[in-house]
Amino acid sequence: MIALVLALRTVHGPLYCPNSAFTQLTVPQCCTKIFIFSLDSERSFTYNVNMKQEQKDEQLKGRIKEISQFYYYKGRMPSFSEIGEMLGLKSKNAVSKLVNKLEGLKVIERDEKGRLTPGSIKFPVRVLGTVEAGFPSPAEEELVDTLSLDDMLIQNHESTFLLKVSGDSMCEAGILPGDMVIVNKGQTPQSGDIVIAEVDGEWTMKYLRKRGSSVILIPANAKYKPIKPKNELKIAGVVTAVVRRYQ
Amino acid sequence: MNNQPLTISSWPQAVMHMDADAFFASCEQAIHPELRGKPVITGKERGIVSAASYEAKARGVKRGMGYFDIKKICPDAIIVPSDYETYSLFSVRMFEILRRFSPDVEEYSIDEAFVDLTGLRRSLHCSYEMIASQIQKTVEKELGITVSIGVSLSKVLAKIGSKYNKPNGLTVIQGRDIHSYLEKLPVDSIWGIGANTSAFLHKLGIRTALQFARKDEKFIEKHLSKPYREIWCELNGMSVYPVVQESKTSYKSISKTKTFTPPSTDRAFVFAQLSKNLENACIKARRYNLAASRLTLFLRKKDFRHIGIELKLNRSTAYPSELFEPLVQGFNQIYQNGIPYRLTGVVLSGLMPENRVQFSLFDDTTKIEKMAKIYTSIDELSTRFGKHTVQHASSLPVKLQMQHKGDRKDVPQRKSDLFKGENKRQRLGLPMLHVQV
Repeated sequence: MIALVLALRTVHGPLYCPNSAFTQLTVPQCCTKIFIFSLDSERSFTYNVNMKQEQKDEQLKGRIKEISQFYYYKGRMPSFSEIGEMLGLKSKNAVSKLVNKLEGLKVIERDEKGRLTPGSIKFPVRVLGTVEAGFPSPAEEELVDTLSLDDMLIQNHESTFLLKVSGDSMCEAGILPGDMVIVNKGQTPQSGDIVIAEVDGEWTMKYLRKRGSSVILIPANAKYKPIKPKNELKIAGVVTAVVRRYQ
Repeated sequence: MNNQPLTISSWPQAVMHMDADAFFASCEQAIHPELRGKPVITGKERGIVSAASYEAKARGVKRGMGYFDIKKICPDAIIVPSDYETYSLFSVRMFEILRRFSPDVEEYSIDEAFVDLTGLRRSLHCSYEMIASQIQKTVEKELGITVSIGVSLSKVLAKIGSKYNKPNGLTVIQGRDIHSYLEKLPVDSIWGIGANTSAFLHKLGIRTALQFARKDEKFIEKHLSKPYREIWCELNGMSVYPVVQESKTSYKSISKTKTFTPPSTDRAFVFAQLSKNLENACIKARRYNLAASRLTLFLRKKDFRHIGIELKLNRSTAYPSELFEPLVQGFNQIYQNGIPYRLTGVVLSGLMPENRVQFSLFDDTTKIEKMAKIYTSIDELSTRFGKHTVQHASSLPVKLQMQHKGDRKDVPQRKSDLFKGENKRQRLGLPMLHVQV
């Protein structure tokens, strides 16, 4: 079915701004095409209703988003004139239509005095615990206190260094050539820690074992032998993690 | 008279100054342990010394010395390219360690900081000297670099303390000991007193810091201006300069300079260097929402002589498009054909908040607004895809030619030896230890 509409107003407003013109039209559901005739033939055009529906949804979504953002940042609902300004609606009537529509969708509500209150848009609001904000979403409450990979891998940021592994002496401990190990310089090495150490002028990464008063460095690869420092042992840091990215 | 203390109150306030020892070179030694105890010099890509380790300094290497001279006096010197990314990481860490002890930390430069320690003796259960020594030990343990520290009653005195015993020194100057530290100190090594003032003070018969500090207030007021009266107060143990916590949010001027080797006689290339500096300076100005009313440009010739020109702008701005016209004019005035240049620089000064810039009667407001839109988009693109994603065509020759011609070893190891997932632009914010294990 086709609807024919005669646009009597030839002033710029409604025809240049078909959105606001359309909100004032009630077209039966079965209509697929609308012809709009203006008094000057240049501005007559047809509109495909099916196409329009998708765009309309998109537009409505955008509008809801804007209103909810306003609410998020300002902590209150916008006034009618603010909605108009925000969405580019020139008349209060257009705003009122939109508000009624959103009310129908339960996006916004009205209190007993007719003032706007948030409906479903209030949920993304982060102000927890206040009455206006309603109940916080359980997912968000849970996510407040989580560890990032950084937090998990690094205990003391200021004393942490990276090191690229080149040898295979720790391969049975799961540290392979090319791996990145995270080294903490500020930590006191304990027996059993993997350490980066300088033994008699050579740098190495091994397990540190303390036996009584003597110290021994043990590899995690049968090919290598434990090292007993002869003159000097300097420990540069303790390996706290190994990171390997495959892709 | 000379043994009389300047003040008898020992700690009305306690200010600490920390200065890293040969900072850039020390960072290199910290991440390359095999370089410890060896003469290390940074600045390979520039061809001149930007920092020398104490081992190199002992051999007579000085800042700004050329490659050729280094090889003569210190043939075994290890010269490495500057790795500013790592130095910055170390710097930030150093300040973070200071903040563990006191919230009042002033980041004075990349390797220097002032810390207000007043009142921390009780909460940290130790004397000011022990606090400073703990800071020193923590920095050395966690970062592997040494710092020199001065603790005293004011910033000027703390700075004298940190210079008194370098490297790895700790000098505590109490109120009643101030005079003994000032006795032999020449007046021109006081922080804030330059060559001109010291020459003037010499005429008044003042040669040492102590002589300066012992003058009475009337004498100082009669002969010197306010900044020097303040220094006088500080030397007498009265703190005038506060430790300012917040990091820099505003600038008096923004300058960007860059050396290129070998020196170039190519006019387009030299201008491109200048243009790139201008773009960089403008990016920084826009980041702080500032606009410049004056533009200075200068060139350094191969023989290290400078030539420069200052231009006044019709309208305060931070948009290169508006600045290119004066830049070209100034460049044409100072550029001489056939002379090799090795550095260009741009200074934006007379800065004011960008939102306070007014349009004049003759400004093309639509054009300016359009420009504002364009540069906002450029800045957005830069944050998303990296600096200079969009740049002016006049800067293009810089991109096509290497900043420093020569071997590719001039790129710091951190930038070439990447982990999977790191790229040319972004790397993990942790320094890397370069040892073979």
